[in-house]
Amino acid sequence: MINKTQSRLLQWTALFLFIQSLILSLAPAVRERTWDVDFRVSHWLGFIVWAGFTYLAHRTMTKTLPDHDPYIFSAASLLSGWGILTIWRLDESFGLKQSIWLGVSLTAFIFAAHFFTNLALLKKYKYLFLSGGLIITSLTLLFGTNPLGVGPRLWLGLGGIFFQPSEPLKILLVIYLSAYLADRTNIRLFSLPLLVPTLFVTGIALLLLIVQRDLGTASIFVFIFAVFLFFSSGKRRVLIGTGAFLAAVLVLGYFLIDVIRIRVIGWVNPWTDPTGNSYQIIQSLLAVANGNMLGRGLGIGSPLLVPVAISDFIFAAIAEETGLIGTLGLIAAIWLILARGLIISLQAEDNFKRFLAAGVVTYLGVQSLLIIGGNLRLLPLTGVTLPFVSYGGSSLITSFFALFLLLVISNREDNEPAPLTNPRPYAILAGIFALGLAASALSVSWWVLVRGEDLLTRTDNARRAIADRFVQRGDLLDTNNQLINTTTGESGALIREYLYPSLAPVTGYTHPVYGQAGLEASLDDYLRGLQGNPSSLIFWNDLLYGTPPPGLDVRLSIDLSLQTVADDLLGDHRSALILMNAETGEILVMASHPTFDPNQLDDEGDNLSQAEDSPLLNRATQGLYPPGEILTPLIQTKFTDAPPSDEQTLNYYSDLGLFTTPKLRVPVSTHTASNTLNDVRFSPLQIALAAATLSNEGSVPAPRVAIAVNTPEQGWVVLPELGEAREVLQARAANDAATSFIQDGKTYWSYSGLGQAASTSVSWFIAGTPPNWQGTPLVLVAVVEENNPVFVQKIGDELIKKALNR
Amino acid sequence: MSAIIVLALRIMAALALYGFLGWAFYYLYQEVKRQGANIANKRIPGITLMIKPKDGKPSLRYFNQTEITIGRDPGCDVPLSEDTISARHAHLVYHHNQWWLEDLSSTNGTRLNNTFITIPTVVTTDDDIQCGGYVMSINLSENVIIEPTQRLKKKPAQINEDDD
Repeated sequence: MINKTQSRLLQWTALFLFIQSLILSLAPAVRERTWDVDFRVSHWLGFIVWAGFTYLAHRTMTKTLPDHDPYIFSAASLLSGWGILTIWRLDESFGLKQSIWLGVSLTAFIFAAHFFTNLALLKKYKYLFLSGGLIITSLTLLFGTNPLGVGPRLWLGLGGIFFQPSEPLKILLVIYLSAYLADRTNIRLFSLPLLVPTLFVTGIALLLLIVQRDLGTASIFVFIFAVFLFFSSGKRRVLIGTGAFLAAVLVLGYFLIDVIRIRVIGWVNPWTDPTGNSYQIIQSLLAVANGNMLGRGLGIGSPLLVPVAISDFIFAAIAEETGLIGTLGLIAAIWLILARGLIISLQAEDNFKRFLAAGVVTYLGVQSLLIIGGNLRLLPLTGVTLPFVSYGGSSLITSFFALFLLLVISNREDNEPAPLTNPRPYAILAGIFALGLAASALSVSWWVLVRGEDLLTRTDNARRAIADRFVQRGDLLDTNNQLINTTTGESGALIREYLYPSLAPVTGYTHPVYGQAGLEASLDDYLRGLQGNPSSLIFWNDLLYGTPPPGLDVRLSIDLSLQTVADDLLGDHRSALILMNAETGEILVMASHPTFDPNQLDDEGDNLSQAEDSPLLNRATQGLYPPGEILTPLIQTKFTDAPPSDEQTLNYYSDLGLFTTPKLRVPVSTHTASNTLNDVRFSPLQIALAAATLSNEGSVPAPRVAIAVNTPEQGWVVLPELGEAREVLQARAANDAATSFIQDGKTYWSYSGLGQAASTSVSWFIAGTPPNWQGTPLVLVAVVEENNPVFVQKIGDELIKKALNR
Repeated sequence: MSAIIVLALRIMAALALYGFLGWAFYYLYQEVKRQGANIANKRIPGITLMIKPKDGKPSLRYFNQTEITIGRDPGCDVPLSEDTISARHAHLVYHHNQWWLEDLSSTNGTRLNNTFITIPTVVTTDDDIQCGGYVMSINLSENVIIEPTQRLKKKPAQINEDDD
């Protein structure tokens, strides 16, 4: 019956891992959306190693341990196989190493199951084992290294193989404490027999904490010791006291030890420092959120974005690729081991075995909860491994040795458990583990179901940038459907190309490091395909590929033929120019100089943001300049006889809407109020809107630059307007003013003026089509950051002529 | 296309994972049921005591319970009215598939085959327990096994096999 149970469970495990391997093999085809890829095959070696050694171990157990517990080995091999495939997916060389370690662990396991099923030896030589473990551990203080080169130096290295002695030391401590306390039941707290081990454990823990800064291992030692005290004394205050002690250490460590402070801050409030101290935990939560319900599929997510995903954050990696469903299964498998372990402990024949089993369960349970809780921000992060799953030879061997002890203890010849005076500690320990695992399960659900949306749209979610390499982004087109920004390359290596770089201050850029700006930022949802596509398409792409669907093209009102002329005219002058349809508000030309080339962002991104002439700034909408006399034509529509007072002028500006922020899909700056006329600053866009009234029968149009989006279902769809046109002047007054500013020999009205503030002066030029114009009513604004009215008038005249004579 | 195949595989993987858990939970349920049945059906071999007072007629008593108390107290399973016998003198307990005789710190002690016992001692057929002037001869011979339920009778073979 037992062997049938175990072999059936192992068959399910093998099926699960086989399907996962198959998914990993096909993953490149899914990522690149073509069958013409290099399929991943090397991980099948890991699967074969797992299957072979697991089968041999199973066969050995059925012979030498006929009455062993059938659940825990199956659950442990599920976890170890899952771990190997996940590690292999993250890093092939580590996957190979982990497979070798699994082979070594299971060979030792088989060997032990043949020859060392008598645990009395462990009891007899408890001091030998413990002191051996201690000596080796203390060697790390002298010769310790870290395979990664940084971090706690907990390993001993020899010829490229690294071993972490503090891992087996946990089990050796469990053996020692079991043997020591088995003969001293109902021990009194604060008695001499307890003093020695107490001092001893506290000593190791403090040493680990202070010298090695290894909070995780130190707290596991303390927990194991506390549980032993609890079991032998039956006093609940032991647990409460330990909890208080660890909390005190945490608080003290917060002030004294940097690592602990970073961990505590990252735990309490990670959101304030997402790129620094809380980077790991936030990346972990992003991975969990990206996993959603079903997970991305092994090899299809991006768990490598989480630091140390193969060991500390393997739970997050598993969550990303097998989802909420997978992690709940993982947690259930861990519960199976812990719950069966405690039952084995209760049914053990003698106190030594009972304590040993309970100690092993404590070690596995506390370590699992610490790291799962750390990954999910339930607990402060401690760098311990997830037993059976995480990368690490020492951890894997120790975990399988712990499992071996449980299996031997469960293999009872005698039916009768040893007498038990107080069963409560076992129930309480089981309750603690159940609560911890349930909290972990709820926590995964929380990050996936409740906070998932928020997390994934964070700008520091690099998955968006990764998706951009695989999914075609929508193009930006000018009003004649000429390409402005487009995406080229092959799936997996798509890059954004900016065919008309001079427009960069307006259209902006999208870049994996520097983020997004301008229209690329404001139209991102359309260009990325998250808006305008049918929601079913978005859902399917997310489910199948974990990416948005191909993006949609957006047509702008910009007319490249005129834009080119404007850019040529402005040259290197610090200047801005807007040519707008005075009636519809469509912006035909928007220039801001100097400009920059977004194709060169990789090399020049850092310089650009600090450049003295601020090329990233869109001067046409964000540049705020003193208006000076440039609005004279407008003022004349109302104050025909005498010039207005300052207060009247300010009120008039307010009526014209110059203190409200225009709505446009690019960043816009305004001064929303001014007390004196000298402080007033307007952007070229605002002047253009006000001037448009003279060519538009007294109405201010609603400006727009993005016109339509090309949807798959309805073709080109006009984008919603952001604002409404407003009538601010009487049509007749506006028309009269416009007519009076038509100079001899010109077909349009125009006016130029200087705007002056403390140390700077700017030259303005405005022009527009006269009343009753038969063609498209236009308005133009140009501004140069120099005292040069001739120049600005020249380029203004030239451009508007060109526009009118088209 | 590849993505749809992989989606199907991802769903199958989830099913396999829960197949594992489902079977594990099913086996656990079966185990609970089996253990319950085992314990409920655990048969206690009956024990027959031939109680001989110092001077008087011996009487025969048959028990099929796990604990038999012996003492002067009338509430005992074997009440013995003699002053040298303590109120709760000794008891016979069945565990580990054996009957054990244990002295309950009686004033004058309990003897088994004329030897005072200090620790629980296994007894078997034809052993004599001596308390004060009383002698109780034990007979564990079968034939007196009580079959607890009707259902058991139908499948005795299966019960024996599972009785581990």
